[in-house]
Amino acid sequence: MLQHFDPNKDYGTPARVSENLVTLNIDGVDVTVPEGTSVLRAAAEANINIPKLCASDNLEAFGSCRICAVEIEGRRGTPASCTTPAENGMSVTTQNNKLAKLRRNIMELYISDHPLDCLTCPSNGNCELQDVAGAVGLREVRYGFEGENHLDAKKDESNPYFTFDPSKCIVCSRCVRACEEVQGTFALTIDGRGFDSKVAAGQDDGFLASDCVSCGACVQACPTSTLMENSVIERGQPEHSVVTTCAYCGVGCSFKAEMKGTEVIRMVPFKDGEANRGHSCVKGRFAFGYATHNDRVTEPMIRDSIDQPWKKVSWEEAFSFAAGRIKDIQAKYGRESVGGITSSRCTNEETYLVQKLIRAAFGNNNTDTCARVCHSPTGYGLKTTLGESAGTQTFDSVMKADLVMVIGANPTAAHPVFGSRLKRRVREGAGLIIADPRTTELVKSPHIVADHHLKLRPGTNVAFINAMAHVVITEGLEDKDFIANRCDNTAYNKWREFISEERHAPEQTEDITGIPAAEIRSAARLFAAAPNAAIFYGLGVTEHSQGSSMVMGIANLALATGNIGREGVGVNPLRGQNNVQGSCDMGSFPHELPGYQHVADDAIRGRFEASWGVTLDNEPGLRIPNMFNSAIDGTFRGMYCQGEDIAQSDPNTNHVDQALRSLDCLIVQDIFLNETAKYAHVFLPGTSFLEKDGTFTNAERRINRVRQVMPPMPGMADWEVTMALSKALGYEMNYSHPSEIMDEIATLAPTFKGVSYERLEELGSIQWPCNDAAPEGTPTMHIENFPIGLGNFAITEYVATEERSNRKFPLLLTTGRILSQYNVGAQTRRTPNQAWHDEDVLDLHISDAEMRGINDGDWVGISSRAGDTVMRARITDKVQPGVVYTTFHHPGSGANVVTTDNSDWATNCPEYKVTAVQVVKVNSPSNWQQNYQNFDDQQQDFLKQGRESISQ
Amino acid sequence: MGNATLSSLIKMVNQIADNNVHVGTTDDAANAVASHITRFWARPMKQQINEYLNEGGEELNEIARQAVTQLQK
Repeated sequence: MLQHFDPNKDYGTPARVSENLVTLNIDGVDVTVPEGTSVLRAAAEANINIPKLCASDNLEAFGSCRICAVEIEGRRGTPASCTTPAENGMSVTTQNNKLAKLRRNIMELYISDHPLDCLTCPSNGNCELQDVAGAVGLREVRYGFEGENHLDAKKDESNPYFTFDPSKCIVCSRCVRACEEVQGTFALTIDGRGFDSKVAAGQDDGFLASDCVSCGACVQACPTSTLMENSVIERGQPEHSVVTTCAYCGVGCSFKAEMKGTEVIRMVPFKDGEANRGHSCVKGRFAFGYATHNDRVTEPMIRDSIDQPWKKVSWEEAFSFAAGRIKDIQAKYGRESVGGITSSRCTNEETYLVQKLIRAAFGNNNTDTCARVCHSPTGYGLKTTLGESAGTQTFDSVMKADLVMVIGANPTAAHPVFGSRLKRRVREGAGLIIADPRTTELVKSPHIVADHHLKLRPGTNVAFINAMAHVVITEGLEDKDFIANRCDNTAYNKWREFISEERHAPEQTEDITGIPAAEIRSAARLFAAAPNAAIFYGLGVTEHSQGSSMVMGIANLALATGNIGREGVGVNPLRGQNNVQGSCDMGSFPHELPGYQHVADDAIRGRFEASWGVTLDNEPGLRIPNMFNSAIDGTFRGMYCQGEDIAQSDPNTNHVDQALRSLDCLIVQDIFLNETAKYAHVFLPGTSFLEKDGTFTNAERRINRVRQVMPPMPGMADWEVTMALSKALGYEMNYSHPSEIMDEIATLAPTFKGVSYERLEELGSIQWPCNDAAPEGTPTMHIENFPIGLGNFAITEYVATEERSNRKFPLLLTTGRILSQYNVGAQTRRTPNQAWHDEDVLDLHISDAEMRGINDGDWVGISSRAGDTVMRARITDKVQPGVVYTTFHHPGSGANVVTTDNSDWATNCPEYKVTAVQVVKVNSPSNWQQNYQNFDDQQQDFLKQGRESISQ
Repeated sequence: MGNATLSSLIKMVNQIADNNVHVGTTDDAANAVASHITRFWARPMKQQINEYLNEGGEELNEIARQAVTQLQK
């Protein structure tokens, strides 16, 4: 389709921001644009569409194809409009006979080395080369195909998601530039010179073997069929699209789901998506096939005990069975003997309904969410210091940062689209400090070198952040005006006295943290001197016994240096799952009703009671670990778990196993028979994000619409299932559409007061708070004041974790995530992403490996105070001596068999990042793994029998 | 009273106390711990830690003991 008919028009070069405007005349039309805008873009903004091939508005101008040549009065020749900046008084001609001939000649040369198989080409109907040939009026190719050409160039089909067909390449370099400018990986290059020039991945070793991260930016940039999604090659061009929100990480990218009927052909990052600005990662872009995987369970099932096969039943019977069991348990063991867990993979509306069911139908506050095991310390820490349980900025804000400090986060793997933007800012010149026990990609990668890598020992975060603050205060680097005007003076003076104590000096803490004092001092000075310094942090901050203290320590540092309340600064938690922020906002925590309103506040609770028509408990409920302990003790007997896989994701698997086996009724609502469902008595089939209608809230507090692109495979939407279960329990809810659920949320949660589906359609997305004071939302928080009035400095004493290494367990294990897999892997393991990571491995330093006689690829046993497991070893210098690292994406690897019950003092967020272990060479799986395999085989057999059973 | 819950509650309250030692005086720290329990702990958890204190509360550290005592007032 010709681009000027395309609603998502490509303006050719990026927009410029300038207070200075210039006016030029293009084809007789006066056009006014910001200084720095190209003539090509200025013309496009006036709907004068100059043909182009190598230009795209997400890439800097390159001037290679010359198709966009124009004439400019008073200038010689025919300059490329993409590389020519618009100037005041310029007079431009974009169409005349001379230009038309020039463009036809250029196209003729391109087409002379391009296969003329348009009718059978996968791009047919959506090919820029074809469009431009049409636009310039190409009617003949005089050169023939007898000469030397590239038509027989071999395809590279190594990548599971796209094919590289160099015979169709016009060497416009858009793919190379997209890899550099948009993604920041620099995996592609133009190899060779002149006629031999060709696109090459890595050292011409193919896409899969190269550094390519399969983000899809090159495929999106390609104006021909050279780089093409395999799904389009196999099934043809899509016929309609729906804009929705990705269900993977907390960046919350907007995508166009491009469809054929109810089948997704491809997911294309949405250019107007305010979180991702048209970029994507391998998961969101390509790994959506799990939604229609054969493993989907789409019919309700029940069974009396987990030693029995499943039985397929009607929805009515499933609800009746589940409700009957819950009621029986409550009759026998009391109202507080049951509870539930909401999910960060579900929408705000679904989550809201689950916590409402628990509070209103179960009659207690035993509701918790998977944020318990990731970012609960963020909620506690930021609410205590800044007054709101959320990050302070937009992702765009990083483009105004002069210095970025990344603590305990690996954004290029876990939040890849944000990671790319951060790398772009660093390439533009921003300083970078990385605080991480491991050497992540941001420490050193093409065109990125961190100013400081503070390679701290696991478990010493608070000692580190205190040392940073100590330097700021004792060297007089604090922002005195900000502190005087914006912060609580009493709290500040108390904190100042505390942090100034000599024991926090870098020279005193270097033995604890392992970071040389001079490096801390230098980093602290760099941070304090930056006009705009921003902090981004991840689970390496929160998943510690002092996670909450560390979050408060980060906020203290931001307050002390005045880095709050404007663009380019702030405290930015990188949320793990896509709707962690939303699930917390929706009242999933046992002590807070939606909108972070405490259950003990009579006035607040009264408003919910009036709306819900029920009396609510005024005491907090149990957190997930408390539920597990109570289950083992026999006082907690029933659980409703929507969209989470606690059996794999939570620490100390043996303990979780014991707890889940103790339940009389476990109701699991999910798309697969996940690890938790193997312990369930009721299985309620759930829906993937492609089947959902609702909203997600990302790490920026941005509420985005999730739009249904295909009907729910089980026949019922998740919100309808929760409603029906609630009704069976005796508490009726009546919504006819998720928008009505959001309308109710808006009446009860003050920060959501102005949110509705109607407003979301108008604005695209909304960052809360959205209320009378901020009717269009709040991109940057705390500009004038804090919700608590003044910023609160908190005392953050370093308390060493009880999890210590010793002679028996001399190494420290830290766990995390990699790019191609997501969380417990339930989704990504059921996609071709397995090509990159089909098993979890243990990273260990060569010195630790040599000491134990371990070679790369050897099977090693990992034992801790909690349990044992076995994985393959990978020798690497990415971890420091004494530290080992693994991921938890595959259930059989048993990473969480090893992690312990230790948790954050304030929130019980597990200490996944510090486990003392020993590693030895072994030659067989652990006992746990053998038992797991037997249990899995049995449960898969029970599922098979269930699938084959006749519905009642 | 179950062992899994109780042993975890003892660990939790001691840990909360350890992390509040430096907020001020011992009374300040105990107040902070008591306030934390009031705000975040479920009813059965409060009941169990109270019962444990009444039975001697041997494994509670000083600030934790003071905080739980305060909860009973």
